[in-house]
Amino acid sequence: MPAIIELRDVTKTYKLGDETLNAVDGISLSIQTGDFVAITGASGSGKTTLANIIGGLDRPTGGSVMVDGNDLSKLRDRKLSDYRNQHIGFVFQSFNLQGTQTALENVTLPLVFARVKSKARKQRATECLQAVGLGDRLKHKPSQLSGGQRQRVAIARALAVKPNIIIADEPTGNLDSQHGDEIIKLLRDLNKQGITLIIITHDMNIARQAGRIVQVRDGKVRA
Amino acid sequence: MRLVDYISLALRNITRRKLRSALTIFAIVIGATSVTIMLTIVFSAKGFINDQFEQNGTFQQVQVSPQTDINWGNGSGQNCNSSDCVKLTQALINKLAKLPHVIGIARQTQPYNFDGLFYGSKKLKLNQVVAYDANGIIDNHMLAGRDITQSDGNGVLTITSDYADGLGFKNNYQALIGKTVKLHTQGYYSGVGSDPVGRQQYMQTHCQNMGPGQNCELPSVQITGKVVGIADANGLTNSSGYTVRVPLSWARGMEENQDYGPARTSGDYCRNMPGPCMPPNVLTVTDELALNGYSSLIVKVDNATNAAAVAQNIRGTFKIGAADAETAIKQQLSVFNIVGIILGGLGGIALIVAAVGVINTMVMSILERTREIGVMRAVGARRSAISRLFTFEASLLGMAGGILGVLIGYGLTLIGNPILNHQLKGNNIGSSNILSLPIWLVITVIAGTTVIGMLAGLYPARKAAKLDPVEALHYE
Repeated sequence: MPAIIELRDVTKTYKLGDETLNAVDGISLSIQTGDFVAITGASGSGKTTLANIIGGLDRPTGGSVMVDGNDLSKLRDRKLSDYRNQHIGFVFQSFNLQGTQTALENVTLPLVFARVKSKARKQRATECLQAVGLGDRLKHKPSQLSGGQRQRVAIARALAVKPNIIIADEPTGNLDSQHGDEIIKLLRDLNKQGITLIIITHDMNIARQAGRIVQVRDGKVRA
Repeated sequence: MRLVDYISLALRNITRRKLRSALTIFAIVIGATSVTIMLTIVFSAKGFINDQFEQNGTFQQVQVSPQTDINWGNGSGQNCNSSDCVKLTQALINKLAKLPHVIGIARQTQPYNFDGLFYGSKKLKLNQVVAYDANGIIDNHMLAGRDITQSDGNGVLTITSDYADGLGFKNNYQALIGKTVKLHTQGYYSGVGSDPVGRQQYMQTHCQNMGPGQNCELPSVQITGKVVGIADANGLTNSSGYTVRVPLSWARGMEENQDYGPARTSGDYCRNMPGPCMPPNVLTVTDELALNGYSSLIVKVDNATNAAAVAQNIRGTFKIGAADAETAIKQQLSVFNIVGIILGGLGGIALIVAAVGVINTMVMSILERTREIGVMRAVGARRSAISRLFTFEASLLGMAGGILGVLIGYGLTLIGNPILNHQLKGNNIGSSNILSLPIWLVITVIAGTTVIGMLAGLYPARKAAKLDPVEALHYE
């Protein structure tokens, strides 16, 4: 299996007044296509920053991030945005759905930026919602859905552009254990279909289900 | 991101916060409305004044009046009978005719004392009777019959279509040709057709023993004339909508003072008479027109480009009023230009305030939608897409304001035109629906407010595009 993600000496520093904070401090990491990786660590350990760098949402201060042959640290905004659009599906702890829009409209959002035409967008979004078991909730607004259903909508949105990597940052953090389990099962199913899955969590029960656990502490990977 | 998506997303965001959008647009509407009205007034006035002058080669004419300070169109006032004006006598006219570039002169006068035009049982108010040389310098567009010619004499007249309409001949002008109408005059009319002997007798029997402050009402006089033509009220050059034209020779008679009374030489008559002397009454006819001069002249020059110079020459040489149409137009337009500048300034200030409103609304909106922007960035929106989305939104606010402003402006012209028509009719100007909104003006105003919206949106859009996606996603 080739490495789809290859991090080398990646650092990310923040300046807080006079102090510099090393959120990511020289991490090297390689992830293979189809892997299911859990990134764990205490809050403030730098695990989210690491995930954001892999997802192209954040830029490293130093080091190189090769994903699918692209060095993310060198991409301009235009290319980096297209990379997020085409390769990455994000799932957030707080769902980040647009409250005024229906489930279907929320799922179409990435397709809008992918310049997909309206009709094809609706078709694809419907497929994705059906795939997460919400085929009968297309016209519902987030406020009319349960927490678990909302996160399913978010997963459908992540799936819309057929990404090869899904990055889920504490996807079960706002859910009860039953709904949380359902979401993890859904993500695992997607992983089985070949999507590389990166879950950021501090829940060891979830981490244990992953094929690999990367523990981050003070910006470094614990061996 | 496709254009149609920008528009639909921007529209959705605007309609999402209806009240705020409406208030923002309201400010733009005020600016757009005042600018629309400003442009409408300035350009409609320009067009109207030009139209008024352009007819019948007016640019080739110089209007001369006894007063030194005249306005075109108002110059044909009363004849000169005070000492501080130079009379437009035949001697003066002969000199004017010899000036360079002058190719013809039409003498004008306006016999007054008329107050009614009667036909059968119809009685219309008579505003003005005009007379001028029928030498082709002043042309009238005739709707029926013929115009006055040089060979016409007493008892022949033309009336304007407004009068013909008033007399009940609308759409049937031909039927009025050859009919006899009556010009009703006030009692002290002493021109041709009056009865000087009867008047003198009436005064002796009725007015002799009147105390001070009492007016001796003389019986009115009616003189008759045959209608030979109906002139288009809208095509008149030198007179207003309700006008009766008579031949110049008849007008001379109308202005005559026919007085029957003791001869002016009565002193001589009584010198050698013993006892009370009663001199015999004689009829004295005074040619007032020759005495007081014409009320105005239209001097025709060989070429329109020489009109201003000829007017200046006349003013300088003869100390009389002389106005050419072009100079007059410039003067009249300067008033409208000032009105335009004031309205334009107000509109401009309103639009600046509106632009600040748009900036404010957009900055607020971006603050509220920071997380949404974060999500859009996360799912692949480029900076340029975010920037364009907000610029579009601001432009749409501007465009909506512009469209509403133009609509309100159009509505105001619909209200304003009947009022103006009424006013102009009252001033005897036969023109209707002066205010008009040309399509280029509509497009200019809407495009203008759209650009203002766009410019106002640039800064907020830049701000939105520069948001860090990670921070935006965690913004509370």
